[in-house]
Amino acid sequence: MEIIVLVKQVPDVALNIKVKEGEIVEEGLSYVISSWDETALEAALQITEDVGGEVTLLTVGPEKAAESLRKGLAMGAHKAIHVKYDQAGETDSFAFAKILQKALEGRNYDLILTGRQSQDTDSGLTAPMLAEFLGLPQVTNIIRFSDVSENNITLYRKGDHGTEVVDMVMPGLVTVNDSLNEPRLASMRGIMMAKKKPLEEIDLDSIGITSEMSGIQGSMTQVLQFEKPESRKEGQIFEGDEANTVTQAVDLMVGEAKFLT
Amino acid sequence: MTKILIVAEVKNGEIKKNTLELISFAKSEGFESDAVLLGTEVSVLADTLAGQGAGTVYLGDDKSLEIFNTEQYTALVSDAIHQSGATQIWLTSSEFGRDLTPRIAARQATGALSDVTKLEFNGDEITAYRPCMATKAIQKCKFSKDGLRVISIRSGIFPADESSPSSANTVSLSIPSGHSQLKVREVQVEESNEVELNEASIIVSAGRGVGGTEGCEFVRPLATELGAAFGASRAVCDAGWLPHKHQVGQTGTMVNPDFYFAMGISGAIQHLAGMSGSKVIVAVNKDPDAPIFKVADYGIVGDLFKAIPVLREEVGKRKE
Repeated sequence: MEIIVLVKQVPDVALNIKVKEGEIVEEGLSYVISSWDETALEAALQITEDVGGEVTLLTVGPEKAAESLRKGLAMGAHKAIHVKYDQAGETDSFAFAKILQKALEGRNYDLILTGRQSQDTDSGLTAPMLAEFLGLPQVTNIIRFSDVSENNITLYRKGDHGTEVVDMVMPGLVTVNDSLNEPRLASMRGIMMAKKKPLEEIDLDSIGITSEMSGIQGSMTQVLQFEKPESRKEGQIFEGDEANTVTQAVDLMVGEAKFLT
Repeated sequence: MTKILIVAEVKNGEIKKNTLELISFAKSEGFESDAVLLGTEVSVLADTLAGQGAGTVYLGDDKSLEIFNTEQYTALVSDAIHQSGATQIWLTSSEFGRDLTPRIAARQATGALSDVTKLEFNGDEITAYRPCMATKAIQKCKFSKDGLRVISIRSGIFPADESSPSSANTVSLSIPSGHSQLKVREVQVEESNEVELNEASIIVSAGRGVGGTEGCEFVRPLATELGAAFGASRAVCDAGWLPHKHQVGQTGTMVNPDFYFAMGISGAIQHLAGMSGSKVIVAVNKDPDAPIFKVADYGIVGDLFKAIPVLREEVGKRKE
């Protein structure tokens, strides 16, 4: 089984994110693999450990994004492809999907796995667009898989009204929900071994991406600016005996917030 | 001229409220809208869409559409796009919409904006606002090229007008046949007849602090008595204490009710991103440093097993 895992390096959104003058403040950001992509990598590793095969990481991003590939290799991926790209900030999902399509052309794979969305944009658009460009079936937001065979996989998709059980003929593209697994940590040995694993660097020219197809020119949508979310007003904290604090809080909720009225 | 094609969602033989919201919003902006309605035995629902304000309803009613599948649904919506001459396609950012929105856009060789929470129109220009980075920032976006605009919109942002069914102008779509790489076996429906998370005005949610299945059942009556939806944190669903459909958060359901009760929820980042748009947040947690207290309007530091009986009693008294 040949599995491609799409990974994106993103700012760690668990940390403080500041917005100033329409931009995200770069200072103080720390970069990580988007956590749902790590879930996808863990699934890929489990599948290849079970049925054999190789896991290839693929990312499109600046020099720095190689850190995420090294981390994925340390977790157990076999090799990695880095499409060098410096215009990520002005590139939309459509253009990213086109670049990924070109990067995958002529390569051999049974399954493409990635997170249901990336943690920087929270858009969830790139992977299904890529599936369409590659003419592949897609199943999004899976929380379980089973019955992996040479040509088939059974996927459990978290849908709006329950779990949709889908048999997919491979090759195909699958996005994962974080309930699928807990990604493993890289071991010391894994980190050492990662340094020797193949990491292929590709530039846009070599895959036929012209300037019209990348950056702002290749994008269909554009982020004009970032804004701060509306901040919540300071709340009231009640401590002490629950019989008192709950009654007190409910009184205020009724008076101030029209609870039950 | 602007014309919107709205992709309808159906549950238990009814048009979902999020679809009605979109039709009402189109009307309030003065736009003409059509709808596309797909499923099994859904023809009877076309009148509901028409009553709400949809012009033409493009109908795909077939046994093969009973369970959602990307391939057939994309083909049918694409057919409806061409027949209606719509300039914008609106979906909701449900799991249905999240799967379909990018696929439809890519097939039309255009871009999409997803999970939008605010839209402004100025002639042909659209300005869309959407939360990103776990709702720690808002992107202000636009479409930068001419062509079809595909947008998914979060539920519960725009009000749905009251309406009654009226006779619909329908066009039947021809059902694409045959060959598919996907075979949907079944939908394992977990529970029904409960208030849906994204349609609820009150949500009561259980977190890891409830301790287990029994703890969840201790919280549930409060939801029932308030007519609220019953939610949960990811930890509760992953542990199997409640089915996944109860999960509130970025990888569960994004919610913005009038009242959100967080019971024993510490407030992991993805949970906060999924509920911090609630109008009023009430939290009960033993740990005074729990992140949930940073977003709570009313934060009760204490034992939920002691607090809930008092809360139920207070609610009971005031409902009399």
